[in-house]
Amino acid sequence: MKRLLVLCLDSVPPTLLFGKLLEKLPNFRKIYENGTHGVLRSCHPPITVPAWMVMMTGKNPGRLGIYGFRHRRGSSYNEGYIVNSTHVKEPCVWDVLAEHGLKACVVGLPPSYPPKTIHGNLVSCMITPSAEKEYTYPLELKREIQRLVGEYTFDVPFRIEDRDGVKRHLFEMTERRFKVAEYLANNKSWDLFILHEIGFDRLHHAFWKFFDEAHPKYVKGNKYERIAEEYYSFVDERVGSLLSAIGEEASVLVLSDHGSKAMQGAFAINQWLEQMGFVKFVKKPDSVTEFDKAEVDWSATRAWGWGGYYARIFFNVKGREPQGVIPEQDLPAVKKELKEKIMHIRDPTGRLMQNVVFEPEEVYGEAIGDKPDLMVYFNNLDWRSAGTVGHETNYLSENDTGPDDSVHSMDCVFMFRGGGGGRRRTSQEMKGGNIIDIGPTILRLFDIRPPSEMEGRAIDLD
Amino acid sequence: MTKYTTVSLPVTLHKRVERLIAEKEGFKSVSDYVTYVLREVVAMHETEKTPAPFTSKDVEVIKSRLKALGYI
Repeated sequence: MKRLLVLCLDSVPPTLLFGKLLEKLPNFRKIYENGTHGVLRSCHPPITVPAWMVMMTGKNPGRLGIYGFRHRRGSSYNEGYIVNSTHVKEPCVWDVLAEHGLKACVVGLPPSYPPKTIHGNLVSCMITPSAEKEYTYPLELKREIQRLVGEYTFDVPFRIEDRDGVKRHLFEMTERRFKVAEYLANNKSWDLFILHEIGFDRLHHAFWKFFDEAHPKYVKGNKYERIAEEYYSFVDERVGSLLSAIGEEASVLVLSDHGSKAMQGAFAINQWLEQMGFVKFVKKPDSVTEFDKAEVDWSATRAWGWGGYYARIFFNVKGREPQGVIPEQDLPAVKKELKEKIMHIRDPTGRLMQNVVFEPEEVYGEAIGDKPDLMVYFNNLDWRSAGTVGHETNYLSENDTGPDDSVHSMDCVFMFRGGGGGRRRTSQEMKGGNIIDIGPTILRLFDIRPPSEMEGRAIDLD
Repeated sequence: MTKYTTVSLPVTLHKRVERLIAEKEGFKSVSDYVTYVLREVVAMHETEKTPAPFTSKDVEVIKSRLKALGYI
């Protein structure tokens, strides 16, 4: 194959891109109509970190040892760390291509800060603290970017009281990213070009309730009602311009790492664990308090949880945690007890929630690194997990820490259009793919046999 | 586009690289291969000199950003 452009649209659900918005997006529609499209299943958990790295390495989160943006440090109670590029120990597709002399440009793919060496050029992702840091490989690429766009933007600062500001930043960020992408595409040598846009995820989390009529908080006629259409069209135009710049000979792959859907609420996991007798407080908080700041009686606490789009549960195990209480041999029974209780949680209307609870080893086989003991999806991720305590109820209609708009879903976008503008010139549907298949699929497109350690299988695009 | 210059290699090393890349697909020339290997090594030395990627303040900034977006 000559060249491949991979457009990574963070958080874009097939229901939006292939659904009501497609007819308004001429460039994406052309890819859809002249190639292969389908729905990919995301990994567990369906979160930006680890999902993109599952795709690029062809390995599951357990083998990568990456379970979200943040990890607990070892077996400590309160210490955590942000997952960054150095935690990705497995080779990515561009590393495999490099061994064959092929070059890559990678822009924004999480986690890629701090920037690692690649055979080509790299601009790091939204976990970059600021543009003052070294965020490119090679280092001097940063100066070229500064000359081009001034201060490069990695992410959108989210403030609930300033949605106009969020909107402005969102469009500005994307404008700069595509300007950089077009510059790199035109001026650098590459075989594989990966461009990731985080803006979709930020749009969904900050504005979903304004444009989705099915959201419990949707208000007809609100000022952001058309924002999804505006943003998707804005990106579509820039994709069109990028595609013209690189020419029709290049193939194009369009992907998302997880989908999005309306958030139904947040479930206060630690409050519930306290009611079930798993968490004990020295003094019960009488106002909303972060769990880290609450006075927990660790000598009597058996398990606690983390907030996020899924819940992570940790057990307080003797000999493992600093003040562990559960003897190692009792752990399986305690796990079983808690799993059963989680499966009996009801929603505020009294209906049984469709919860999913699993141990990392059950889905991954091997699970390395700082993994949780249990992973929980409340009502198939419709409800997020809130770690805070001191609420009047376990069911929070407002998010305890931020926006209350969207949660993640398992469905991801897949589109492929071959070189020459799509030889097929007909639309074809692909079924049954998983994001772990992307690594092998990309290598196969370059006629490189995927290494046997890659778990996924190349998607047939002939 | 990238500009190029010439460096000298011992002939024996050049021959060894030629033999090596003949067994691999993709590397079009000895220059290609040497550039790739040098990039890796130089970047490793450059990274040693770059300041730590995160200060404790950076970590707080990222945490509050992720928190505001519902990830924590």
